[in-house]
Amino acid sequence: MAIHKGRGISAIEYPTGMNQNGDPSQAWIKMKPDGRVDVFSGTADIGNGSKTIQSQIVADTLGVPYDWVTYDNSNTDSSPVCTGTFASRATFVAGMAVKKAAENARTKLLEIAGKELEIDPADLEVADGEVVAKGAPQKKISVADVAVAATWTHGELITGTGAHLNPYAPIVDSETGRVELPPHAAISYAACAAEVEVDDETGNVRVTRLVQCFDVGTAINPTLVEGQIEGGAVQGLGLGVLENCYPYYPSVEHRGGQFGSYLAPGMEDLPQVDTIIIENPSAGGPYGAKGIGEMANNPQPPAIAAAVYDAIGVWVTELPITPERVLRALEAKAEPRREGKVVIFDEELSVNSVSNGGMRFEVPA
Amino acid sequence: MRLTVNGIERGIESAPLTPLLYVLREELGITSPKAGCQQGGCGACTVLVDGEARRACLLAVAAVDGAEITTVEGLGAPEALSAIQTAFHEHYAAQCGFCTSGMLIAAHAYLEHGGSGERESIQETLSGHVCRCTGYVKIIDAVAAAAGGEITSRQKWLPQTGEESPVEVPGAPA
Ligand code: FES
Ligand code: FES
Repeated sequence: MAIHKGRGISAIEYPTGMNQNGDPSQAWIKMKPDGRVDVFSGTADIGNGSKTIQSQIVADTLGVPYDWVTYDNSNTDSSPVCTGTFASRATFVAGMAVKKAAENARTKLLEIAGKELEIDPADLEVADGEVVAKGAPQKKISVADVAVAATWTHGELITGTGAHLNPYAPIVDSETGRVELPPHAAISYAACAAEVEVDDETGNVRVTRLVQCFDVGTAINPTLVEGQIEGGAVQGLGLGVLENCYPYYPSVEHRGGQFGSYLAPGMEDLPQVDTIIIENPSAGGPYGAKGIGEMANNPQPPAIAAAVYDAIGVWVTELPITPERVLRALEAKAEPRREGKVVIFDEELSVNSVSNGGMRFEVPA
Repeated sequence: MRLTVNGIERGIESAPLTPLLYVLREELGITSPKAGCQQGGCGACTVLVDGEARRACLLAVAAVDGAEITTVEGLGAPEALSAIQTAFHEHYAAQCGFCTSGMLIAAHAYLEHGGSGERESIQETLSGHVCRCTGYVKIIDAVAAAAGGEITSRQKWLPQTGEESPVEVPGAPA
C-alpha cells in the first residue's frame, strides 16, 4: 500500500464566436456634456468581468480615460439586444458591438472637434481625453470641451451605435457542396499539466499541482483572464475527481438532493495553480481577443486522468475519478480475467481495463 | 428582542426561531449576507456575532438576542474600505461576489484573531467557504497580503510583451 505520484498533460482547442447566426449583440453610447460616456449593452456581468472589459474597450476606442465610462447593462428598457453571457461570447461578440459603437461615437466626436478647431476631422486623433491635430500637437481641444460645444454651440449629441453578428456559415453550402466559412470565428487553445498523488489503498486522488497555459488572443485585462483560468482550474479539478450530479447515471437515484450531498472543491483541495497566458491575437475579436470563459475548466480532467494513469498504470475512463473507480480499476488490472473472458471494457465496472499502455491483457495459458 | 447591527441598536419583530440571516435580509434589509445553502455548508451567510464569525442561516435570532452583529456594511464604507476589503479589491479576489461577503467576514475575523497569513492557515480557516468562481487563488492571496504574509499559492507568468521577461519559474518555458 503506497502513495503513487504521477504527471499527465492534455491539450484542447475551443471555438468562440458562433457563425450560426441568431447570436447578435448590440450597444449604444452617448457622451454627456462633460465628456463622460454612458454605454448601454445587454451583456450581463456574471462575474466574468465583462463590464470592466467592455468599458476598457470603449475607453480605448474613444480615447477617454477608463473612469469616464459608465457601463449600464442592468436595464432591459434602455439596453439594446444581446443574446447573453454564454458560449464564451461576452468579450468576443458583445465586445465587438461596443467597439463599433465607440468607433461611431468617435467619428461624431472628431466631426464636432473639427468644427471647433477648423481642421479636417481626418487630420485629428483622440487619446487620453484630448483631441489633437496629427503632426501639430499644439492644436488640441479637450474631449470635455468638444462635448460642451456639441451640446450648446452645435445642437448635436455625440453618440454611436454598434452591433455585431458573426456571418452565417452553413454547415455545407447547398449549392456548392462546400463549407465556405468555419462555423466559429476563432479557436482558442489550451494545455494543462497535472500532478497527482494516488493512494492505492483508499483510491483517493489528490491533485497537487495544475500548470495551465491558455491562448487567449489578446488579454484585454490580464488579471481578469487569469482569474477566469484559475477559477476554471478548480472547477476542472472538481469535474476531474469530485463532482457528479448523477453518480450512477442513467439511474438518477443517487443524485445529490441538497448542497451538502454534492461534492465541490473547497479551499483545502486547492493545488498549486500556475497560469501561463499566451497572446495569439484573433482576427475576429475586439483588439484580437478570444473567448476563454467556458474552456477554462476543460483541460484539467483529461490531464488528471493521464496523471492517474502515470501514477498507477490504469486508465480510468469515466469522470470523476472517484476512489471507487480507482480501486475498481486497480482490481481489474490485478485480475484481468473475469468469468473466463478477457476484459476489454467492463461496463459494470465503468472503467476501461485496457491498461498497460493500451495493450490487451494476455490470457494466461 | 434587540440587536446592535453595525453599531445601530434595532428592535426585532421577527419570530424568535427565525434564522438571523432572514432577520438581517428581510426585516432589516441588510443584504450582504447571502442565502447560499441555508444549511451551514457554504459560508455565504457569515456575519460577526460579538466578534466571532458565525453562520447566520443556522442561528435562531432568539439565541443571539442582545448581541452585536457586524456585516460587510459595517466593515468599511466605499470611501474608507477596511484592510481586508482593500486587499480583496487590490487582488481581484471577487468575481460574481456571491461568496465574497462571507469570505470577507471570515477573513476579517481571522486577521482580528492574529492569523499568521500562511497559506495553510488561511486554507484551514476559510475551508468552509465555497467559491465557484475564483478558484480561491486570489482570495488566499488577498488574505495573505492583508495579514502581511507571503503570497505562495501560485507562481505566475505575465503575458510576454516586448522586452519584458517572464518571472523565473523552474521548468517554465524559456
Ligand atoms: S447559507 Fe449559511 S452556510 Fe450556506
Ligand atoms: S466570486 Fe463567485 S462564488 Fe466566489
